[in-house]
Amino acid sequence: MASIETDIQGEAAALEPAPTAVQAAVPVRMQYRRFTPFQRWVHFFIMCSFTVLVFTGMPLKYSDQGWAQWEMGLLGGVQSAGIIHRFAALIMVTCVLCMLGFFARILIKTRGHFWGPGSMAPARKDLQDMIGMFGWFWGKGRPQLQLDRYSYWEKFEFWAASAGVMIMCVTGSMMWYPQLTTRIFPGIVLNFAIVNHSGGALLAMGFVFVFWHFFHAHLRPEVFPMDKTMFDGGLPVDEYAHERPLEYERRVREGTLRNVLVPERSPSRRKVENVLWWTITSAALVVWAAFSLFVVWVASFWIGSF
Amino acid sequence: MNQRTFLGTSLGMALLAVVVLAAPAGAVQFSLAHGANGRCLDCHSKPDLGTIIVNGVRKSLTVAEDVWHASVHSRQDCTACHAGFQPREHTAEEKDGWYEQAKLTACSDCHADQFIMYSGSFHGNVVMREHDQRAPSCGDCHGSHGIIGTKSPGFRASVLHMCGRCHEEKAGTYLDTYHGKAFRMGETSTAVCTDCHGSHSILPQSNPNSTVSKQNVASTCGKCHEHASAKFASFLVHVDPSSPKSNIWVWSMGMSHGLLIAGLFCFGGLHCFMYFYRGLREGLYSRGEH
Repeated sequence: MASIETDIQGEAAALEPAPTAVQAAVPVRMQYRRFTPFQRWVHFFIMCSFTVLVFTGMPLKYSDQGWAQWEMGLLGGVQSAGIIHRFAALIMVTCVLCMLGFFARILIKTRGHFWGPGSMAPARKDLQDMIGMFGWFWGKGRPQLQLDRYSYWEKFEFWAASAGVMIMCVTGSMMWYPQLTTRIFPGIVLNFAIVNHSGGALLAMGFVFVFWHFFHAHLRPEVFPMDKTMFDGGLPVDEYAHERPLEYERRVREGTLRNVLVPERSPSRRKVENVLWWTITSAALVVWAAFSLFVVWVASFWIGSF
Repeated sequence: MNQRTFLGTSLGMALLAVVVLAAPAGAVQFSLAHGANGRCLDCHSKPDLGTIIVNGVRKSLTVAEDVWHASVHSRQDCTACHAGFQPREHTAEEKDGWYEQAKLTACSDCHADQFIMYSGSFHGNVVMREHDQRAPSCGDCHGSHGIIGTKSPGFRASVLHMCGRCHEEKAGTYLDTYHGKAFRMGETSTAVCTDCHGSHSILPQSNPNSTVSKQNVASTCGKCHEHASAKFASFLVHVDPSSPKSNIWVWSMGMSHGLLIAGLFCFGGLHCFMYFYRGLREGLYSRGEH
């Protein structure tokens, strides 16, 4: 990794053109900043509000079940669950608005970045990567994925979640303000809203807790037991260059590596963060196991209904 | 000892004697405890009194005392409804035809307004003019010995069950709505059947005077939902998303959602499971491998 060291030193030198004597004595190790504090905070608030929304909404969807009635009792009845659900929804909507503002800013400031390489936009390469991976699952050799900033499973999740959150926001608002909604639309739109909100909730829950997000963030062999970058913001440069070679190479080529190099966390802060990560990881694993059972249970009566 | 003191003492002694002497005599004690209805309850509080078939339904002859005392009629005489019954083994003359007569008139004597509304309603019409006993009369909804106030949570919680005895399908679709879900979670302030359909004067939706007719349904919704318009009220309350016959559009939407969910879960499940499986087989989870 000699080249990487050279890259970093070059960029760090460019960042700090005149290191003082103290800095020279204690060399500051730089790490690659994958996500900005803004992105991390948005993720954090979406994570919290999503969990609350699921917890307060699911008992209503499965109101005929014993566990749902027990859980609703825990929440203090449908009225208080409704208030908590709306409060969490407001946080979620705020996050969505922040994200929309973020994209608007990208669109206005750096026009090309929205669609180009390293963006969230799906490309032919993603399909090729996915086909390669499925080939590996099927028994062919493992593809050495040359990933850019976002892999196909991240892009897929992003767009699925974006579409989902939009549907949930729109249908949820319709049910929140039924009189206003029916001033414009006929009443059957509220029926559609209920069906969509209810189905979308199950879809989002399964997608996040069991079938996609938790797996790729926790159980994927490359990151097991947890991909910390969304909480920590960064990772060692050599790891990043190995994980996302295309992004790394492009930054070196374009000379923008310095934009994403930040000083590594101090050991004491790392200790605190480690406790937090392991708490999140163990909670996530418990939730993953519980919801896997839940999905099996839902599937069993879904199949049984035919 | 003057005369008044003497009179008082004598009366007191006599009363005491009556109480002391009466105490071991169970029958008298019962009568005192139950007031005017005591003589009925002497027999009808016994748990092993047997059963009787009324209108095709087997009913117990025992009156649960605690239920009776908790009811709104606990201060009424038994004979207010059971008119003509004597406190002994009842004769055929007393019993025969009493139920058919009393099931409406026993109530209408006091509740004339409700009776007039009922006799104009769909149910009342079926019972009184078509003589079809399957439609409910007073007691089928209110009960008999355990009648409680219709605004009480206990009564509201029982509404779905009593309407659902005949309107089973409607009860099912009700439980699919937010009202129904909240109701099932124990929230009795949410709308139950009677809040929208009315009670004594229930009419079919096709009748313009019905609370749920096209003309009236918006104002019925408006009882709780301020500014409810006709479009608001066109929301399909009794719709079954799992049946294409109920509403083809709602069903289509539900079905396509179901297929989307199944498809995405299968895709995601396959991707995750195979990734995990290959990772395990190729030792990618052991440290330092990747």
